[in-house]
Amino acid sequence: MSFPTGLHFENYVKAWTSQNVSVFFMNSLMYASISAVVLILVCAPAAYALSRFKFFLNRTIQSGFVAAMGVPVVMIILPLFGVVTQLELLKQDITIRMLLIFLYVGINVPYTTIFLLSFFSNLSRSYEEAAAIDGCSPIATFWRIMLPLAQPGIVTVSIFNFINIWNEYFISLIFASGDQQRPVAVGLYSMINSMKYTGDWAGMFAAVIIVFLPTFILFIFLSERIIQGVTGGGVKG
Amino acid sequence: MKKNRGMIVTFLTPALIFFVLVFLYPIIRTVFMSFYKVESVTAPSSEWTFTGLENYASLYGTQLFRTSMWNLFRIWAVGGVVVMSIALLFAVILNSGIRFKRFFRAVIYMPNIVSAVALATMWLQYVYNTRYGLLTSLFKFLGWEKLAAIQWTDPTHMFWSLLFAYCFGMVGYHMLIFSSGIEKIPTDLFEASTIDGANKIRQFRHITLPLLRGVFKTNITMWSITSVGFFVWSQLFSTVTASNQTITPMVYLYLQVFGAGNAVTERNAGLGAAVGVLMGVCVVCVFMITNVVIKKDDYEF
Repeated sequence: MSFPTGLHFENYVKAWTSQNVSVFFMNSLMYASISAVVLILVCAPAAYALSRFKFFLNRTIQSGFVAAMGVPVVMIILPLFGVVTQLELLKQDITIRMLLIFLYVGINVPYTTIFLLSFFSNLSRSYEEAAAIDGCSPIATFWRIMLPLAQPGIVTVSIFNFINIWNEYFISLIFASGDQQRPVAVGLYSMINSMKYTGDWAGMFAAVIIVFLPTFILFIFLSERIIQGVTGGGVKG
Repeated sequence: MKKNRGMIVTFLTPALIFFVLVFLYPIIRTVFMSFYKVESVTAPSSEWTFTGLENYASLYGTQLFRTSMWNLFRIWAVGGVVVMSIALLFAVILNSGIRFKRFFRAVIYMPNIVSAVALATMWLQYVYNTRYGLLTSLFKFLGWEKLAAIQWTDPTHMFWSLLFAYCFGMVGYHMLIFSSGIEKIPTDLFEASTIDGANKIRQFRHITLPLLRGVFKTNITMWSITSVGFFVWSQLFSTVTASNQTITPMVYLYLQVFGAGNAVTERNAGLGAAVGVLMGVCVVCVFMITNVVIKKDDYEF
């Protein structure tokens, strides 16, 4: 392999500035990080309640979540799109963004809950008993003691959610109609389509690398945790 | 117990709201929608006309949809066999005590964390490119002019090029699942059989394989779920809508309902819903068949 004209880093600068890559990049960063945080706030309490308390419907809810992990997006996309257009949520920038985050969170709720559920089940009950004896209320016990103890699981599942949402394609394609709201995956697709005609190959590969780098860097540093995220939690042998 | 009821309800409600809004309600509505003629996705249910199974019949009569189902089946069956075999092989090699296990595992898994759009673009524009692509250059370098002359993305090769590229990325995920299954097998089983004189191949045949039944079930189910959602690769590889080489049901639904391209003439979102239901049914069927074929593990470890 040789580079007849040398290295051209200006391709990256050009892709970043002229092709909206910076917009897509920032969008994805926003969607993925907010969704990952919201997912923990929503799923950690639910997983804790499901793992610790016996109550009517507990098994049913767990089975429902496990089943939802196998539901193809094609089965839910049409009603979602119908409702969203009826509510006129696709007209304003802010509603589109909130809707996307809502959907990213919703799609990942079952997986995250089941993952954290198995994590909480493995924590000893003696922590709660000790806290109860010291007069700590169950809710305070959860926020102050159990949630910090579950931190390794929370970090793992959050990295996993972040990467999944960063790479999410179909939902973004349907709901992020304007260039301004597009995340990287869909943005890259539209860019590739236009670059095919302009023949800006160098720019296209630069854009591919820009999209690829964040998850790649995360993976280099956190590959062990990400691999745990695949094999732990919901997927049982 | 009673005093915890308030806590249980507040802790569960947000997750359940998401579950109902994003999964339960849409699934039920999709199933209903598939029995109606629906002018557009946005039409309220009062404007739907009940047509019974007509949507399904009409899908069955559509050549394009049948092609898409055939493609999906080939991706699922051929791709499945290839991916499962390679994944199992890699998992066994990884757990045979090689050095740098973590490194190899991470490298093989890596395509899974990269955006499929970026991955497919690299394959399409770099590996399969006939002017400066990796394959063409490689075969030219080796002097295999016949192979170098193959147009990897022309209509005759497109589908298999696509499937190969897709499988390449999917091996890592299934390898991890196999690998975690193998790690759970107690090592004394292998030690005992080594003392009894069993070689690696017999150990694999009589210990590893039978004890991985449950893992196979998981892997087949996960593979089916991802196959059903086969979309990005197909969309990227079919540059023009006229080409139905790589069409899958999900792409068909996208064309049908969101009307991109001119491959579809009739506007009926009910057809799209029927596609969705069929995909769901496929996953459930595969799941049930594997449950019957692969008996439950009678050995606990």
